[in-house]
Amino acid sequence: MATQESLGMRSFRVLTGAVLITWLILPLIPLAIWSFAKGWFYPDLLPRNWSMRAWEYAMSDTAGVLDSLWLTIWISLVATFLSILVGVPAGRALGMYKFRGKEIVELMILAPTIVPGIAVVLGIHSVFISMGLNNTVHGVILVHLIPTLPYMVLVMAGIFSNYDPAFEAQARSLGASPLKTFWYVTLPAIRPGIIVGGLFAFLVSWSQYILTLLIGGGRVETLPLLLFNFATSGRNDITGAIGMIYILPGIIILLLTAKHLSGRSGAVGGFGQI
Amino acid sequence: MRHLLMKCLLASTVMMAPAATFADTADGDALNNMSWDEVVELARGGEVNWFLWGGSDNINQYVTEFIGGILSDEYDITLNRVGLSDTVEAVNIVLGEKESGVTDAGSVDMIWINGENFRTMKQGGLAYCGYTDILPNNALIDWDNPAIANDFGVPVDGCEVPWSKAQFAFAYDTNRTSEPPRSIAELLDWVRENPGKFTYPAPPDFNGSVFVRHVFYHAAGGVDGLLGDFDQAKYDEVAAKTWQILNDMEPYLWREGATYPASISAMEQLYANSEVDLTFNYEPSGVGLNIENGVFPPTTQGYGLTDGTIGNTNYTIIPFNSPNKAAALVLQNVLLSGEAQYQKALPTVWGAAPAIEVSRTSPEVQADFATIVSHPNVVPAEELSKAALPELQASWISAIEKGWLENVGQ
Repeated sequence: MATQESLGMRSFRVLTGAVLITWLILPLIPLAIWSFAKGWFYPDLLPRNWSMRAWEYAMSDTAGVLDSLWLTIWISLVATFLSILVGVPAGRALGMYKFRGKEIVELMILAPTIVPGIAVVLGIHSVFISMGLNNTVHGVILVHLIPTLPYMVLVMAGIFSNYDPAFEAQARSLGASPLKTFWYVTLPAIRPGIIVGGLFAFLVSWSQYILTLLIGGGRVETLPLLLFNFATSGRNDITGAIGMIYILPGIIILLLTAKHLSGRSGAVGGFGQI
Repeated sequence: MRHLLMKCLLASTVMMAPAATFADTADGDALNNMSWDEVVELARGGEVNWFLWGGSDNINQYVTEFIGGILSDEYDITLNRVGLSDTVEAVNIVLGEKESGVTDAGSVDMIWINGENFRTMKQGGLAYCGYTDILPNNALIDWDNPAIANDFGVPVDGCEVPWSKAQFAFAYDTNRTSEPPRSIAELLDWVRENPGKFTYPAPPDFNGSVFVRHVFYHAAGGVDGLLGDFDQAKYDEVAAKTWQILNDMEPYLWREGATYPASISAMEQLYANSEVDLTFNYEPSGVGLNIENGVFPPTTQGYGLTDGTIGNTNYTIIPFNSPNKAAALVLQNVLLSGEAQYQKALPTVWGAAPAIEVSRTSPEVQADFATIVSHPNVVPAEELSKAALPELQASWISAIEKGWLENVGQ
C-alpha cells in the first residue's frame, strides 16, 4: 500500500513537473520564432520569411537594449541587496518576537502587494521630487524597495519563526563574537531564506514598469520600458528579440538557485507561519 | 563580502552622480528676446531629452541616427530619445513636476504631441510659448493654414511647432477582398454583408475615436454644422443617430461586437491574422512600414474614402520647466529643416508627410522632394488630401468618446 501511494505521488510529481515546464517554456517558443521572422501570418505554421532584422535592431546603439540590460541588472542587484539588508532584521523581529502593534506592522509591510502601484505612484512621485530623488538611478532603486520588501520580509519572517535562537546563545557562551556568531551560526541557518527572498526581490524589481517610468522620469530606461514600447505597438519581432534578452537573467538566477527552491527547503517550508 | 558590496554601492553613488552641468536655459522669456545665433551658442555642448512614442524602430532610427547625428555633428548637442508607450506618460511627468513646484529643472525637454495631450499642456500652463519667431525655419511653416494653426481645434498660439501631417486612411488585403467599401455608407452595408470581418478599437483609443467621428460626420450629413464651439443641441441630435448606426452594426462586428480591440495595434494583429478584413490608421504611411516590417501581408493596399477622411497635424512641444530650452529649440529648428523633412518623407525611412511648405524650401530640397516615389501600397498624401475633412474641437471629441462608452461600448 505504502509503495503504491509513493508511486502515485511520484507520477503526480512528474506530471506536475512536465505541466509546469510546458507552461513555462511553451509561450516562449513563438516569441523566439517571432524574433527571427519577417511576417508570420495565420494559417502558416512557421514564418515564410526569416530575418535577423529584429536582432540587429535590438543589438544596435539606437535601440539601447544592451545599455539598458546592464542598468537593469545593476538596479535589480542593488535593490535585492538593500532588501536583504532591511528584510533580515525585519523578518527576525516579526518572526521571533511578539510586540504591541505587530499586526499593524505586518499590514503596512504587506500593503504594497495589496494596493496597486498605479494608485499611489503619483503621490510617491511628488514625494520623490521634493526629496530630489526623481530622475535618478538611486531614486529608482529606492522606489523598487517598496514592492520588493514585502516578499523579502515575509520569507525571512517565515524562516525566523522556525529558528531557534538558542544556537546563537550557545555560540556566544563558547566565546564567539557577535559577528562570528552571525557568520557561522545565524547566516547558514537563514541562507535558504535569503536566497529565496532575494530571488523574489530581484525578479520583482526586474519587472517594475510604472514605478521606474515615473520616478526615473523616462531617463532611467530599464528593459521593461523598452520592451513595452514594442509590445504595445504590435512589433512582435522586436518584442521577441528584446523579450529573449529580458528573460535571460531570470533564467540564469533560477538555475543557480534551483536547489534551494524545492519543497524540502526550509525557506518554503516555513512560509506563512509567522 | 559585505564590505566589498558596500564599497561597490559607494562607488556607484559617485558614478551615477550627474555629469558636469552646462548652461541652464530654463528661462524661456530670456531666450525669446535673443537672436538665433545667441540661442545656438547657449545650446552648444548641451543635451536635450525628447520624449516620444517609441514603438517603431523606423522612427527611432530616424530620430536617434539622422536627427541625433545632425545635432551632435553640427551643434555638439546630445539627443536623448526617450521612448514612450503612450504620450500621456510624458504629460503626466510634467504635470507631476508642476504640482510639486519644479519650475526650472524638469526632466522633459520636448514631447511629440497633439490633440488631447496638447490641450492638457496648454490649458494647464505646462507649455513654453511664444518662441516660434526666433526659429529660422519657422518661415517654412504656413501658419495661415487653419489645419496647422489649430491642433484639434485648439489654437496653437506659438506653444508648439508642427512636425508631420497625417490623414486617416483604410487598408485592405487585395488577396482577401476584391472591392473594399469606399465610403462610410458603403462600409455600413459591407459590414452587414461580411459579418464578423470588421471591428474598430474602442474609443478613447486615438484611432478608434477618429473612426467613430467619421460615422458621426456621416450621421450629421457632413462636417459643416459641427465646426466651431461645442453645441449641445446639435450634439444630441447627431449623437442619437450615430449610436443608432453603431448599435445596429454591432451584431455584425468581429465577435458580434461583444468586445472591441483595446488598441490599434491589437486591431492590426487581427487584420494580419485574417480575423478581420479591413484596418485603418491615422498615419497612412504605416501600411508601407508594416509591410516592410512583416506586420502586414504584402498584398495590403491603403485607400481613402470618397466622402473624405479626417486629417490632422502633429507637433513638438517644449514643457515650461525644461532646463534645456535652447537645445530643444535647435532640435525643433533641425526637425523643420527641408533636409530633415525630406528624409522623414522617404518611404524607406518613415514616409510621413511634411508639415512645412515644400515650395518655401531651397531649390535643392524641392528637387529632392520631387524624386520621392511613395510606397506603392500606401495611398498618396496628394490623393487623400483631395477629400480631406477637418478635425473637431477637443470638446466635441471628448463628448463623442464619452457618449460612445455610455451608449455603444457599455
